[in-house]
Amino acid sequence: MAQIASNLKIHPVPVELERPALIQNQRNVGWISDRVAEIVEGKTPTWWWCAFVPSFLAMTMLLAMMTYQISTGVGVWGNNHPVAWGWDIINFVWWIGIGHAGTLISAILFLLRQRWRTAVNRAAEAMTIFAVMCAGIYPAMHVGRVWFDWWLFPFPNANGPIWPQFRSPLMWDVFAVSTYFTVSVLFWYVGLVPDLAVLRDRAKTKVRKFIYGFFALGWTGANRHWSNYEKAYLILAGLSTPLVLSVHSIVSLDFAVSQVPGWHTTIFPPYFVAGAVFSGFGMVLTLLIPLRKILKLEDLITMRHIELICKVTLATGSIVGYAYGMEVFIAWYSGNPYERFAFLNRAVGPYWWGYWTMIICNVVIPQLFWFKKIRNNLFIVFIMSIFVNIGMWFERFVIIVISLHREFLPGNWGYYRPTIVDILTYIGTFGLFFTFFLLFLRFLPMIAISEVKGVAVQADPHHPLGGAKAGGHH
Amino acid sequence: MAETAKTYGLIAEFETPADTMHAAERVRDAGYQKWDVFSPFPIHGMDKAMGMKNSKVGWFSFLGGATGYTTGMLMIWFMNAIDYPLVVGGKPMFSPFGAFPVAYEMTILLGAFGAILGMMFLNRLPRLHHPLLKHGRFSLVTHDRFFVVIETSDPKYSELEIRKLLEAAGSKRIEVVEE
Amino acid sequence: MSSHTPSATPPPLDLSKWQKVPTLLIAIGGLLAFLGAFVNVKQFGYSWLLAFMFFLSFCLGALFLVLVHHIFDASWSVPIRRFVEHIACLAPVMAVLFIPIALLAGKLYPWMSSDPLHDHALKAKLPLFTAPMFYIVSAICFTSWWFFSSKLRYWSLKQDETGSAECTFKMRRLAATGVFVFAITLSLGAVMWMKALQHEWFSTMYAVYYFAGSVWMTLATVYLIAYLLKRQGPLKDVVHETQFYFIGSLLFAFTVFYAYIHFSQYFIIWNGNMPEETFWYILREKGSWWDVGMILIFGHFFLPFLLLLRIDAKLSWVMAPIAVWAWLMHFIDLSYNVMPIWHPEGFVLHWMDLACIAFMAGVVIKVFLKSFAAHPPYPQQDPRFSEAMGVYIAPIIVPLESKPSGHRAK
Repeated sequence: MAQIASNLKIHPVPVELERPALIQNQRNVGWISDRVAEIVEGKTPTWWWCAFVPSFLAMTMLLAMMTYQISTGVGVWGNNHPVAWGWDIINFVWWIGIGHAGTLISAILFLLRQRWRTAVNRAAEAMTIFAVMCAGIYPAMHVGRVWFDWWLFPFPNANGPIWPQFRSPLMWDVFAVSTYFTVSVLFWYVGLVPDLAVLRDRAKTKVRKFIYGFFALGWTGANRHWSNYEKAYLILAGLSTPLVLSVHSIVSLDFAVSQVPGWHTTIFPPYFVAGAVFSGFGMVLTLLIPLRKILKLEDLITMRHIELICKVTLATGSIVGYAYGMEVFIAWYSGNPYERFAFLNRAVGPYWWGYWTMIICNVVIPQLFWFKKIRNNLFIVFIMSIFVNIGMWFERFVIIVISLHREFLPGNWGYYRPTIVDILTYIGTFGLFFTFFLLFLRFLPMIAISEVKGVAVQADPHHPLGGAKAGGHH
Repeated sequence: MAETAKTYGLIAEFETPADTMHAAERVRDAGYQKWDVFSPFPIHGMDKAMGMKNSKVGWFSFLGGATGYTTGMLMIWFMNAIDYPLVVGGKPMFSPFGAFPVAYEMTILLGAFGAILGMMFLNRLPRLHHPLLKHGRFSLVTHDRFFVVIETSDPKYSELEIRKLLEAAGSKRIEVVEE
Repeated sequence: MSSHTPSATPPPLDLSKWQKVPTLLIAIGGLLAFLGAFVNVKQFGYSWLLAFMFFLSFCLGALFLVLVHHIFDASWSVPIRRFVEHIACLAPVMAVLFIPIALLAGKLYPWMSSDPLHDHALKAKLPLFTAPMFYIVSAICFTSWWFFSSKLRYWSLKQDETGSAECTFKMRRLAATGVFVFAITLSLGAVMWMKALQHEWFSTMYAVYYFAGSVWMTLATVYLIAYLLKRQGPLKDVVHETQFYFIGSLLFAFTVFYAYIHFSQYFIIWNGNMPEETFWYILREKGSWWDVGMILIFGHFFLPFLLLLRIDAKLSWVMAPIAVWAWLMHFIDLSYNVMPIWHPEGFVLHWMDLACIAFMAGVVIKVFLKSFAAHPPYPQQDPRFSEAMGVYIAPIIVPLESKPSGHRAK
């Protein structure tokens, strides 16, 4: 705390501008452990089974669809000339975009010292990991002969010196996505270590104690450990931030380095990143609004958290809106007939409904978040978050399908439709996502216990509730 | 383990971060070496109260990152320009631009490895056994209690002195931890 | 736990010798620029445009900082907000400084003298690329910047007296609409005044590119000004380590952001390899412009990046040289954008460049100092001021009788 000069006049905060506490009802530090750990320690609730069984069945369907696709060929999907990238790449980009909110919350908000992130970062990071898993399935599958996937990695092989071609953005993707997955898992795990120690110390059975103890790595909460731990966490946040930017930038380069009208545009990298964060925050809202209710976490994931997430959604949605506008403006400005046609075709071509769904869901609807009344109405926020998810799916649809179906030569034009296998595979990835997410809720603390404790007023040695004596410190 | 029951150190329990911090300042000023503060969350300002230096994890990460970047660039240069040159898109066999995305990802990957392994190395983790973990009250360290532990291996270790010091710092519960 | 107590600040510098500098800059720079206009009017025009875009960067960068301060409901930046508001309020000055460009537009912008019937790239841009629209767009830009910057300062000054939350809400609403208008007008300005120098070329990233460089340089400047004002006294008690650390961190973030933006633009054009885009960079790879490009990579990005990488660097002595370096780099960066069409053979530092820069620097400094002296040096009664000072009045421990409302604990 900086020392304040005595002659400085400091006025009290007006009531209407007081910031609500991050933890409601003055819960103490121990209560936080109890509340979060109870979710993991109690009996499996009925709602959990009701959600898990269908998710698991859907995941099984995903496996069936993958088996069918691998044994038969990519032809079971709707991809064909001229739209060679269909739902596979749409869903790949969609899922990986959703993952970005987790990293944003855990890394960027950490660097920005946004203390509210602590209540939501664990679940959001879990969301990241499972979303990247869903995303990763698609590129691996869409190559057609998945048993050759290992060619993507620079392994020495017996066919003479044959190496991957590193000038291809698809190779960059391989490195970006695998690095992203690895670092996200590590970041998540590092964050989990102190909380696993909480579960270890609370464990009633030997088996639980052993398993949680094993993964807690012998954590004791020593300050000499915390010091290195916090530094490592800070560095991981510092690395994850450029990582998350690079991942979606590289995904955008899959399109932007080509010459396809509507794909080749310089604003793609930051525009994709903003869109990814936007969709991810939409998903965070979709997941957290029901969860805080079902798991009775309203004191930890407060209305202030929800409001702040709404605001981030609004900000990123507006950036996305700027990018849409800039794309259209420059397409016109360039005078390039193909560019101009690509955008006209988006708005009034055979897929006009896709374009306008995107505009309404991504640009128009989030603007409602300007109103406090709306940000505070959980039902409306929940519905809007679903629109965000839909809108961002359509954004990828617009970019991929609408750009490809009418490229340069009219003789090459076509119309794309997904097959039932496309649709069932997509539904299957939801099964995978929710199966893992539900398992996570059941076995791991869904709120970062030690981090939330750290932002409680009781944790501040300079605060009266943290034990500070009246009349300053030292 | 039961036969000699060696003493590991003295453990003092505290209830608030402020008390713990003051205790740490006293222990620091008394000149102890082998001691530590245990808390459910990192306490802001504790490093200073304990007289600790800035963590070294950054160097491990920097080393990892530098290795990653160099490896990435060299790997691509060797594979695409030397061992298996292939003309693609009218681009040079090797260009730092074309190689940048992958080298960049490798920088981050190895930088992250460096940070995590560096942290584990500096903390001597993982360890599956620690005398404190057997101590009954200590399990509260992950709940809501704070502990100051001074080890017997400290050159200045004297049970009486330490008890006096920690009692004066406000601890109501001081116990002996066995090895 | 800051050791940065007020007593640790070094004694104020003796600046009395420097007091005449702005006037001298105006006099000498103005005279030389005026002469230059007769010697070589085109060179004068480009030099003036370059200097104009350079100082516009401060104005827009500062306006952006004020806008986001309100949108994010930030607290740490309260003590530095007032002087940033003054920089943003330079918008009308910039409008006046725009006059020579408005007069010389026909000479500066090749599209103005080319025939849309023979120039497809121009015909495509009708009606935006017509002389009247050029002036209308310019007027819209300046009017909106003037409106938002002055309104935001107005309510901020009002709050100095009343301390009411209403002012905060007013500023917040202004910032919310302002940021949209800002994005659009900045884009238009960057396109119409700088990108239009080569109107055949197009890039969706261009406005963001100008924005990133501008905010980057503004942050470096804000750091320097905050340091000087602390040392000289006006902000002595209110600007602490926190403020310097955050400005420094933002500067670091924008160092990376700028590099990211410019790399992406270059990289996509390089990969796409389409003549309608690459010609812009090809021109800038000829002669010594190639070296300028290298200087930008290493000087605009790598050097500040490495210097700022360490956490404690944001509080160390390197910050002052970095700020000066940032001016130089941003100047070179803008030169890289503006000058190659006039000096395609390579980078030339013309004496008229310096004259225009000196003149505008004098004007801007004078106006800034005048506004700074006329108003309280920092927001006096901002509701977030206590938070910025690290003094928080936690609602729950305040005895109920001292506060009128009992619901505060909730």
